[in-house]
Amino acid sequence: MTLLVQTVILGLLVGGVYALMSSGFSLVFGVMRIINLAHGAMIVLAAFLTWWVWDRTGLDPLLIGVLVTPVMYGVGWLLYKTVVARVHKADHELAMVATFGVAIAAGGVMSLIWGTEVRSATPGYFNTSIELGSLVIPRAQLYAFVGALAILGALYALLRGTFLGRAIRASSTNRDSAALVGVDVERTMAQMFAIGAATTGFGGAALSVIYQFVPDSHYVWIGRILCVVILGGLGSLLGAALGAAILGLGEALTASYIDTRWATAVPYVLIIAILLIRPQGILGGRLRTDGVHP
Amino acid sequence: MSTDAATRRRVSKRLIIALGILFVAAIPFLTPSSYIHNVLILTFLLAVLGSGWNVISGLTGYVSLGHSAFIGVGAYTAGILAERWDISPFIVAPLGGVAAALIALLLSLTTRRTRGVAFVIVSYAMLELLGLITRNWSSLTGGSQGLLMPLPDWDVRFHNWPFYYALLALLLLSLAMTAAIRRSKFGLGLVAIRDDEDKAAGIGVVTPVYKGLAFMASAVLVGVAGAIYGYYVSFLTVSTMFDIVLSMQVVLAVLLGGRATVWGPVLGAFIVVPLAEVTNTSIGGVDAGAWRLIMFGGLLLLVTLALPKGIIPSVGQLLEKRRRGEASSLTGARLADTTLPPAPASERAAAGQGRSTDVLRVEDVTVQFGGVKALDEASLVVPAGSITALIGPNGSGKTTLFNVIDGTYPPAQGDVVLAGQSLAKLDRTGRAFAGIGRTYQLPRLFNSLTVVENVAAVNSRPHNRIGSLRRLAHSSVSGAEAARATELLEFVGLGEYVDAKATDLSYGQRKLVELAQMLMLDPEVILLDEPAAGINPTLLQRLSELVRALNATGRTFVIVEHDMHFVLSLADRATVLARGKVIAAGDPNEVSTDPAVLEAYLGDDFVLETAVITDEDATIGPRS
Amino acid sequence: MSPNVRLSRAVAGTAAAALLALISACGLSAEEPDAQAAPSTEPIVIGMSLPLSGPVADRAKPGMEGYQYWVDELNAQGGLLGRKVELKVLDDSFDQQTAINDYTRLISQDKVDLLLGTFSSDLNVAVAPVAERYKYAYVQPSGGADEIFARNFKYLFFAQPATTQKLPDRFVDLIAAMPAAERPKTLALVQLDDPNTTQAADLFGERLGKLGVKTVYDKTYAPDTANFDTIANAIKQAKPDLVINGSIAGDGVSLIRSFQKIGFSPQQLYQLNTPTDPGFPKAIGASNTEGIFTYLAWSPEATYPSNTGFVAGYTKQFGAAPSEDAANSYTAGQVLATAVKAVGKLDQTAIADWLHQNKVDTIVGPLGWDATGRPQGDMLLGQFQGGKIKIVGPESAATSKDILFVKPGWK
Repeated sequence: MTLLVQTVILGLLVGGVYALMSSGFSLVFGVMRIINLAHGAMIVLAAFLTWWVWDRTGLDPLLIGVLVTPVMYGVGWLLYKTVVARVHKADHELAMVATFGVAIAAGGVMSLIWGTEVRSATPGYFNTSIELGSLVIPRAQLYAFVGALAILGALYALLRGTFLGRAIRASSTNRDSAALVGVDVERTMAQMFAIGAATTGFGGAALSVIYQFVPDSHYVWIGRILCVVILGGLGSLLGAALGAAILGLGEALTASYIDTRWATAVPYVLIIAILLIRPQGILGGRLRTDGVHP
Repeated sequence: MSTDAATRRRVSKRLIIALGILFVAAIPFLTPSSYIHNVLILTFLLAVLGSGWNVISGLTGYVSLGHSAFIGVGAYTAGILAERWDISPFIVAPLGGVAAALIALLLSLTTRRTRGVAFVIVSYAMLELLGLITRNWSSLTGGSQGLLMPLPDWDVRFHNWPFYYALLALLLLSLAMTAAIRRSKFGLGLVAIRDDEDKAAGIGVVTPVYKGLAFMASAVLVGVAGAIYGYYVSFLTVSTMFDIVLSMQVVLAVLLGGRATVWGPVLGAFIVVPLAEVTNTSIGGVDAGAWRLIMFGGLLLLVTLALPKGIIPSVGQLLEKRRRGEASSLTGARLADTTLPPAPASERAAAGQGRSTDVLRVEDVTVQFGGVKALDEASLVVPAGSITALIGPNGSGKTTLFNVIDGTYPPAQGDVVLAGQSLAKLDRTGRAFAGIGRTYQLPRLFNSLTVVENVAAVNSRPHNRIGSLRRLAHSSVSGAEAARATELLEFVGLGEYVDAKATDLSYGQRKLVELAQMLMLDPEVILLDEPAAGINPTLLQRLSELVRALNATGRTFVIVEHDMHFVLSLADRATVLARGKVIAAGDPNEVSTDPAVLEAYLGDDFVLETAVITDEDATIGPRS
Repeated sequence: MSPNVRLSRAVAGTAAAALLALISACGLSAEEPDAQAAPSTEPIVIGMSLPLSGPVADRAKPGMEGYQYWVDELNAQGGLLGRKVELKVLDDSFDQQTAINDYTRLISQDKVDLLLGTFSSDLNVAVAPVAERYKYAYVQPSGGADEIFARNFKYLFFAQPATTQKLPDRFVDLIAAMPAAERPKTLALVQLDDPNTTQAADLFGERLGKLGVKTVYDKTYAPDTANFDTIANAIKQAKPDLVINGSIAGDGVSLIRSFQKIGFSPQQLYQLNTPTDPGFPKAIGASNTEGIFTYLAWSPEATYPSNTGFVAGYTKQFGAAPSEDAANSYTAGQVLATAVKAVGKLDQTAIADWLHQNKVDTIVGPLGWDATGRPQGDMLLGQFQGGKIKIVGPESAATSKDILFVKPGWK
């Protein structure tokens, strides 16, 4: 029994980490219909920046993550202006390929700057846990989990409550109409993309503490992020949280009860299964795919 | 352009290609350098991969990030069988192709639910999953230990030769296959699917079959190449055989060379592989790998941003512009000056002669989008040989009704009955074959094709026999189909535009092409969705003449319209929709003066001044 | 005719012309090695392709430095056969196909005089057939997986004391030497999916099983596993006395961290590969290394004749003590140089024959090979004591008489 409960706890905590990493991606995907395959690379970049500052100053990495956030905002803005805005209008698949090109190149750049040694930040709590009887809750994951809730909540509030959020939703539903009612569509899209990128600041910091990483780690993360967002459904932050929990649990249960070797297959199996059975995801809205084309 | 010049160009093109192939084939004789053979072997491999990828991603529009998986499938299949049966991998290599084709077929099944970016993700997931399965199924594949291929037992001086020539042969086969597909009706259907899959389904392209065949074609030669490559490397591991970086190189190579062209993948491969080699040897040291990644990623980025069409089509366009130079675009004759040619006959109408029943019945259909009832127990009756008008204010559900009839939306309730048979179980293509043809408010054509190709892409009969499948292999625009397409285009007045690109046409001309497509499909009922919208009065006049002439041959029309004059001058019957409900149906004159209709349309304080315009008055527009 | 087609013609023509140029540039040279001997003032070129970038770059770097030091030392002592020695190094980024390309190029294009091997079983298993086909002696420092030697190659030699086959020996002997009552009762095997580690795990399980140690957990994890918490938890629930972790690199560190988080510390912990990484103590906490067992091919304290000089010289040149990877490369260089000097000429077959018939004194002791290239020595058993790895077996090479039979808990 303890095995099951502990496995579930670990799975949910990992899910929290996934939710944190995926929140920005889900936002950009769900609201702007842009699939940014460089998101994983941005997380790894944030992890490197966090580690670099931590290595020199000894400040708490998660706090550094807060500082790295505006840097990632800038990176996101730049990425949008130089690459995404140009390709996205024409051909969605090509846009994806373009962002994948960015991811690959980013991996190379990070290798040049920081080398390919395995890194991780090790503040005091990196390998300690809170104990509840015979169960343990690893601290670093717990902090990341809390951070995930906070960021998801903030994003949700942003989308529903602010003018920017409404402008985003308008622009992504119908660009031209939004422009007609006075929304500066380009600027709005750039801002939203940059916000999505900014979330990788804290996500990368969490990564640097919980996992070890190298420049090539972005492949591993983008696969999981895709799974989370597809599971949860288009346009739903709550869905992303749910998807992350399912993925985390799925991996943990597979590792404990089926076979550790299949644990890494779980994201891919889920991706294919969901896209076949329920393409809009668990909480995603129905896509109108009728014959009306712009 | 004279046929002499064309023939000359064709012959010299063939000559150059033959020379090129001969030269490449002679290289092992010209130099014994293993290194050069090696580089060329890798180039051929990438080119075969690219050619295959081109079929589903270039021609059919399903961009895949997982194509290198078929290399792995082919290699492992051949490796396992070669070991079990103790024979040379060369002999079992074709089975590798078969295995790859089967996996590709499975992948094509996923495209029923996933398209576009979702498919890109599925293809990536498939690659990773196949790799994982291969690694974990270690009893069969050797798992992480890898699979040893038998060692070559022929003279080491000619070590590379069998691999070299086998891959070269596969490349040529690949190119021939791609060229054949492009020329055929099958290829036309694939491009139609790429440009507008739903529209293609509506004009009789059986998309699951086409896609299944395309996917298999894209994988089979890649699987064989994988088997040969595995033998060449002599040792199979999952990470080499299911490599995401190779998948990306394929995408890069074909994008660079030019998607959907025959030689694009070859050009791309001849750029990418030597480039990788050069980077490897010139930038030595610890950072070499990092620079290689930056180069590939950067190149991919550059190509998608700056040269999305690829080298061959882009340069081709430049040359075309320079050649065309001062040539002006086509202008047509003034419509008012031309007379209507005789209307082409309809086989279906002829077959159905004498049938006086209702050809189409929509019975109590309800469609709900969230909380909104777009259609509320709407019914429609269309008598055979009639022109029935479906009118109503904006948002009343007219287009939705069309979407229910042609199968785009399944209704929550109700049924659609065509010639006495319910269409409930048929999908869009099934309904197209059963006899539903439909145009769109904003005309949907296949933008990559010419006008005549757009019409020739229509299939009016299902392929349920091998003979019909073989028809797919025929050339797309010659023969009886092309003649018929041309005849129909002449009828609608686009005889001069037969070879023009669909994108060169005006809005009104596109509508006429759609009409021609309908005639090619020859359905029981032709649904016209706002044909009069946005076209000038002369064309409007011509359009109503066309419809009347076609109706006279026995064809049945259902027309959705706002323009009361246009509709009332044509229609035998009218049905009025408001807010999803039918509020009136019957003779157009009665309907147009029905108070409920007037209120729904115009508010109750409007008086309809002009009466129905009859044939005799039919000169709306500038006189000559 | 459409311009696309005309363009394709031009493209085909240009490609053909470019190829012609490429071939002429590379020279239409015969494949057979030159009949006449090279002039005796030309340096001897030794070719190699290393994974200097990519996933194992941090281990390839010291490996490269080992080769570098060996060449510098050799040249300082007059070179080989009276000629200077140069290294020609290519980078394969840990990609098998690139490694094959590189070695093919080095052999057939650049016509290097000698070869030295690359790092990791993955790469060596792909390159060995190439060397064999062209009949080049191939001494490699770091491919110990058994399958590399399964093909009975005549030109292949492994420059470590033993292959994976013999890896478990010392530790199993240690357990066997304990009185039955004190032996660990239960065993957990957890290893990365890799030919090296899975083979070792099987051998451990089998041989310890014969000593009465019951395997209560045996799982293999995928190479890209990032989170080990669940695995650590499952192991904790199985309550093993002894944990043997077949790790390759960072995964070993991740597993230990997960153990720390989950709050599980086995009585005994044996880890492959990871503990010899210089960054290991920092990664898990220096005090946490106490008692961890591992195997070593080489130890800086071993008293073999050339070893002390190697350690001192390397430290002087690079400013840090050599790691095992550097030592492995140096050993490979030693083997090759000894054979070449003994044979007196650059005759690959003669070199290979000589190595099969003779032993070479190296920094890991005397090495000798069987007909398949497998070395006939034994690995050393090491244990972390006081923050450093000490040799605890065999007795003849031991640098510490104490053995910690019970590992202290995590701090």
